[in-house]
Amino acid sequence: MAASGRRLRGDPESGFTMDETVAEYIRRTVLKIPRREIMEMLTIWDFLSKTQLQTINVHHTKERISQEVVTLCEENCAGIKQAAILDMICEETDSLNLADFKYKFKRSLQTALKNVTINFREYEDNALWIRIAWGTQYTKPNQYKATYIVYHLQTPYVFISSLRSNLPLLCQALVHASNYHDIHEMELRSRCLDSLKDIVFKRYSQTFQTYHPRPLQERNVAPEKVDPRIIQENKREKERIQRVNQEVFGNGLQPKIEFAQYKLETMFKGEPEMDILTEKEPFRCVVKFSSPHLLEALKSLAPAGMADAPLSPLLTCIPQKARNYFKIKERKDILSASCLGS
Amino acid sequence: MRRSGRPSPRGRRPQQDMGTPDSLGMTPLGRKTAETGINFTSTTRFSRGLTFIRTHTLFGQSPARRIIPQTSLLQENADPQKIAFLLRKQWTLYSVTPMYKFSYGNLKEYSRLLSAFVAAEKQKGLAVEVGNDLGIKVTLSALLGLKGTDQDQAAILVQIASRSQLPVENAEDRVVWSGWFCCVSGDDFLENVPEDFTCLSLFLANGAESYTTIVGTWFQKTFDCCFSRLTISPLNLAWMAAMWTGCEVDSHMAATELVFSVPCLPQTLDISYAIHPEDAKALWDTVQKTPGEVTQEEVNLFMDCLYSHFHRHFKIHLSATRLVKVSTSIASAHCDGTIKILHSKHLIGVLMLLTELAISQIQ
Repeated sequence: MAASGRRLRGDPESGFTMDETVAEYIRRTVLKIPRREIMEMLTIWDFLSKTQLQTINVHHTKERISQEVVTLCEENCAGIKQAAILDMICEETDSLNLADFKYKFKRSLQTALKNVTINFREYEDNALWIRIAWGTQYTKPNQYKATYIVYHLQTPYVFISSLRSNLPLLCQALVHASNYHDIHEMELRSRCLDSLKDIVFKRYSQTFQTYHPRPLQERNVAPEKVDPRIIQENKREKERIQRVNQEVFGNGLQPKIEFAQYKLETMFKGEPEMDILTEKEPFRCVVKFSSPHLLEALKSLAPAGMADAPLSPLLTCIPQKARNYFKIKERKDILSASCLGS
Repeated sequence: MRRSGRPSPRGRRPQQDMGTPDSLGMTPLGRKTAETGINFTSTTRFSRGLTFIRTHTLFGQSPARRIIPQTSLLQENADPQKIAFLLRKQWTLYSVTPMYKFSYGNLKEYSRLLSAFVAAEKQKGLAVEVGNDLGIKVTLSALLGLKGTDQDQAAILVQIASRSQLPVENAEDRVVWSGWFCCVSGDDFLENVPEDFTCLSLFLANGAESYTTIVGTWFQKTFDCCFSRLTISPLNLAWMAAMWTGCEVDSHMAATELVFSVPCLPQTLDISYAIHPEDAKALWDTVQKTPGEVTQEEVNLFMDCLYSHFHRHFKIHLSATRLVKVSTSIASAHCDGTIKILHSKHLIGVLMLLTELAISQIQ
């Protein structure tokens, strides 16, 4: 919920009104805390009572938790001083966490490998970049073939680039340093880091069932100067395709990925006239789509007349499923995607 | 407008508004081509060889049927080492018009002249290789065994080697460019060739394009012939996919892969469709009726089956896209006119098809 337009909050009992900016600040600070650390932070803060803390359910959405905290702060008449202290506690913990992570990660790798160069760099968007140059027991690290890792500490996702070997070792170090249990590789690859972040953090404009579909005229498109004598034969079909395409792909820009690969092990079935291949064995093939911007290209296939609308869910599910490697098997009589490990 | 993917129903004979071929292999009179549906009448001639039936290609149209040789036709005098040299390399294809007053007896003389020409051109700064002007050696030699019929001219291999810089004796020269001319079973497409002309209609080159240009220029000047890039249409690529998928391969079967490029999009999109070789062959075997012979209808049906299986999963009409590359266990070909041949057993079969394409491009 946005802060703009909200009145000064008031606690009806004590007559205290918390400053709107303070409320928003507290709310945002709480949002930044990783879920598993929220109770710990609030306890250290020591501003809310034990009974108040017990009313907070950490299994709710973070939005809801932050709202609840703000409401409790109002009861306690929080001011900017308390908000600032909370912020400092989080910052300190953040940097402690960060320092802890870096220390543990470095130690984990360096114990296993003598010759390895590890460097860290933090960015404003809370991204930690790690650069690793790998050597072997007898050779110095090769600085020209470094691996890069991007890790947002508040999230359970890690992005790895240019890793040629030592994956198990790296995984072990990451798990150990981040205090997680386990790590597994997602079947998702792209050259555009921002798009990968958009997909896993679900920051792109997701399509949901549009209850109020926007008619096409609403868009700011200058009317074309079309000769009135030209009649479009399949105007309705074209509009239908546009509408269906929008429902499936959404209005926003698609995340940028370069390819998608499908391993098909389904039965061969052609048109009814082709009584070909009445065998019981699957028709094995591998299909790979590649493009500088795959999702945009797929989106333009139906309007160009080269595909049906709606496009197959095998293609449109890529951002939602956050993968671009698929294994498709026949499931009884229904063609469906059984994605391994998803 | 979307193309409907419906194939012709099974059991229908291929369209023939022509006379039936007789036992001597006389070619039909008029033919409806698969692509344009326009009727052409042609003059025919008796084919000299009784071994195969041939159809005459008209104005570059693809024939209604083609023969696939089932056994290796490499003649006994083929040098296995030289043949192995031709395999597993990417060759760029050209079609060559008949050469005037080319003599097999003068190969040494040609080598000398071409060496001088290449050296001269290099000094003009046209060639690519820099710092290696310590001698370029060009050799022309006959490539034995690459004939389809006895009427074919023997193939010629041209190689450019740079002399070894090492002071060691007998140090090997490094081959920097190779090109070869051949004509496999081409005589049935070539009518009334006068005596002074040698028909080696197919040229394959591997190496720097600057050398290809130099060698081509010399041949054009010396023998009054003309080289042009041989491109392969999607239709012929489909033929290759069907014909080569059906070939028996003893070892190391590779997937049958078709690569499509989608035009008219704001972003380019390439689709690679690779089928397990056993499954592709099984599909082809149910489509093909007469062993050793392939018809246009069979090729269409094979492709339509593949398109329809694809459409079922992805709802995309592959028939609206452009087939640009075909790879099989036998060979791989790209529409720009490049080829890679993988098995010596099928070398002659592939060259036969390419010769046919080269000659129809010349006409």
